[in-house]
Amino acid sequence: MSYPQIAVLFGIAISIIVFAFSTAVYSKSSVSDQNSSKLNTFGGHTPGYPTLQTTGDVLDPTSLVINPKIAVVDPMKYLREFNYGKLSTSSNATVIRDFTMIASDQLTKEVSPGVFYNVWTFNGTIPGPTLRATEGDTIRITFVNNGSKFHSIHFHGIHPSEMDGVFEGIAPGGKFTYQFTAEPFGVFPYHCHMQPLEEHITHGLYGALIIDPKTPRASADEMVMLMNGYDTDFDTENNFYTVNGIPYYYMHHPIQIDKNRLIRIYLLNMLEFDPLNNFHLHANMFNFYKTGTKLIPDEYTDIVTMNQAERGTLEFSYKYPGKYMFHAHKTEFAEKGWTGLFLVKEGTNQSINENLNVTSIRNITNYSTTDFNKTTGLVPTGGVN
Amino acid sequence: MEIEEGNTSNTHKISKRTILFGVIPFIVIGAMIVLLLNSSGILFQSSIKPLPEISIEKVEFSDNNMIVAFVRNTGPSEITIAQADVNDRIYPAAVEPGRTLTRLADAKVIIPYVWNTGEPYGIGITTDDGTRFDKLVNSAAAAPRPTVGQASTFALIGTYVGIIPVMMGLVWYPFIRRLSPNKYNFFLSLTAGLLVFLGIDALLESNEIAVDNLAPAFNAQILIIMVAIVTLITLLYVSQRLIQRASKRSKPDVDIEYKKGNLSNSEPDLGTRDMKSTSTSFQQQQLLIRPIAISMMISIGIGLHNFGEGLAIGAAVLLGEVALSSFLILGFTLHNTTEGLAIVAPMAKSRRIPVAKLIIMGLIAGGPTILGAWIGGFLYSPIATVIFLSIGAGAIFQVVYSIGSWMHHTNGSRGLLNNQWIIIGFAFGMFIMYLTGLLV
Repeated sequence: MSYPQIAVLFGIAISIIVFAFSTAVYSKSSVSDQNSSKLNTFGGHTPGYPTLQTTGDVLDPTSLVINPKIAVVDPMKYLREFNYGKLSTSSNATVIRDFTMIASDQLTKEVSPGVFYNVWTFNGTIPGPTLRATEGDTIRITFVNNGSKFHSIHFHGIHPSEMDGVFEGIAPGGKFTYQFTAEPFGVFPYHCHMQPLEEHITHGLYGALIIDPKTPRASADEMVMLMNGYDTDFDTENNFYTVNGIPYYYMHHPIQIDKNRLIRIYLLNMLEFDPLNNFHLHANMFNFYKTGTKLIPDEYTDIVTMNQAERGTLEFSYKYPGKYMFHAHKTEFAEKGWTGLFLVKEGTNQSINENLNVTSIRNITNYSTTDFNKTTGLVPTGGVN
Repeated sequence: MEIEEGNTSNTHKISKRTILFGVIPFIVIGAMIVLLLNSSGILFQSSIKPLPEISIEKVEFSDNNMIVAFVRNTGPSEITIAQADVNDRIYPAAVEPGRTLTRLADAKVIIPYVWNTGEPYGIGITTDDGTRFDKLVNSAAAAPRPTVGQASTFALIGTYVGIIPVMMGLVWYPFIRRLSPNKYNFFLSLTAGLLVFLGIDALLESNEIAVDNLAPAFNAQILIIMVAIVTLITLLYVSQRLIQRASKRSKPDVDIEYKKGNLSNSEPDLGTRDMKSTSTSFQQQQLLIRPIAISMMISIGIGLHNFGEGLAIGAAVLLGEVALSSFLILGFTLHNTTEGLAIVAPMAKSRRIPVAKLIIMGLIAGGPTILGAWIGGFLYSPIATVIFLSIGAGAIFQVVYSIGSWMHHTNGSRGLLNNQWIIIGFAFGMFIMYLTGLLV
């Protein structure tokens, strides 16, 4: 054999060895076969998009349902759940409403299908419970800080300085009672006001307080919609946008409403990082009451844009049955979770909706008590009146 | 391995005692491993979960409205993929074989998406802890499918980029043969300059691929240097052995042919005279055989280099990083023509080389480009590309060493750096590559 031949052979031999080695390293796939033979369908969500089958796992927040046991909130329950507190009457015949709020900052819960995040919560959910009172009532909140950091509750609305939740931080394990008169009527956010403020809010320490006018508004199918986001990778940009805590939840669980029934939405924006957020209703128009502090609408529109902590009341009814979308018309947010559906039905189950609502003073409070019982032995109050 | 063989001649029989002493450290290490694994969570427990790390190694756009991202878990622990997005907008997707990836395992994320040709896309993957990893594709292009048409397109590209330029360079052979020793030295050092440029270029390119496409977990940058060094020393060893073996078999008539060669009728030159006067029979034989061996080694080195280049070209097409144009191909052609020159330069002063042999050398140097383009375009693997580019670099540096020592030999006592032609040639060689490189 001549040396060029040997050289060529040697070159080829090196190439083969190295290539075999590199492909062996490169294609070494030690992934276990999680779904060996089962085929899952995905795609086809939008006209023009192919529907495909896979032997693997489907990643689809628009259709996958979070296990309610590990989810940060049950959006369907949150939607129409109003907590009126434990009722009592003072000596001068003022109605006193007692609530218990427990702050926590060490839970990790699912915020979007498959995504787990260290949530900071009031009573275990994001958003925290919707508190509701009538103008002139005394609101009394026993606040327990079950977290590892200082926390507080700062309510929007009119109250004395020491009830403002800004200068009196409650130490871990501490307790404080907030007491003030519910005024004026309207929609108000509450949130923790400890520093760094952005951190405490974006982790989930917020919720809604509704103060009803003394003369009740017209009977309606009422619901709360709180717009928020999650920055799960801490880059001061939201990875997920939601209404009522879970991205796309109302896409696979449309909100059922009755045709021609008056719908009233208490809408709040608690989104951090992004300066504005909005709500757009499809195939319909609504009356918008800014901050909910007036009984005469400010606007008749199909979109309302809100800055951080802005809120208002929407009233509308659907003329035609069918599926209707509602979403942020900042479409980036819509495509990262802030999209939902109304399913308008012929008015057959009006009475069910009645029962769930404000006009009957019935209140079903389902705090996630188990989490707190374990750690604190405390049971949040605010039960059936 | 063969080095060890050579040394075994003076090794004595290993006693049981020696074996015992050799094994003891392994027993200690084994015991430590058992201890650490059994006590895991007691000895070194950290409450902090290690940060996940995902590398999106490749993104393919397919004609039927699909984007496929090839991801690998390059973090320290198992991860679970939760969501996929296109341009930071969440889309339904599927992950195969499954959403949970053990360390270094890979998966395919399939996103049905109506994408537009030529537009940039950022593909994001979010893990279960909410961390998002993304990869930007500058210009979406349909992934080449392994069809006959596409394969012949790559073959054509390979021919233009690899074979034709090298063959064109070989045509200089008769020209170089007729040059005076000084000019010949100039061209030899020019070749060395070209090759040094190619070697550095290959190292930089593999580094770029390593940084862009491979996770730090692969330590790819160390791998580049490692592979290049191992290739260099292995080829040095091989070429030494080849020359030794060939020298033993060479015949005196070659020697006569050599004396009839061009060196004898060239103008008197210090280097030539020196070489002639010092040449013993063995050295002369070496001088005759070495040029062809060097040329062959150059061909192989350039072949390995061109294989890497083919991989890179195929991959660039696959990844939508380049739009293939006649201009780009022309640039590569000009750039690579100098490679043919590099092959013929060392042989210019030896006996006449048959055309068939030249063509074979040309094919060895240029042919791998086609193979590389096929593999790069159809089965792109960043780590394979990095490894082959590094092998190419190591091979090229070996060739530079061979040329250098050959020139040192032929220049005798005068020395390499004492000859302005050599310095100018070397600088000029690199400069040519730089200029033609601007076209690519």
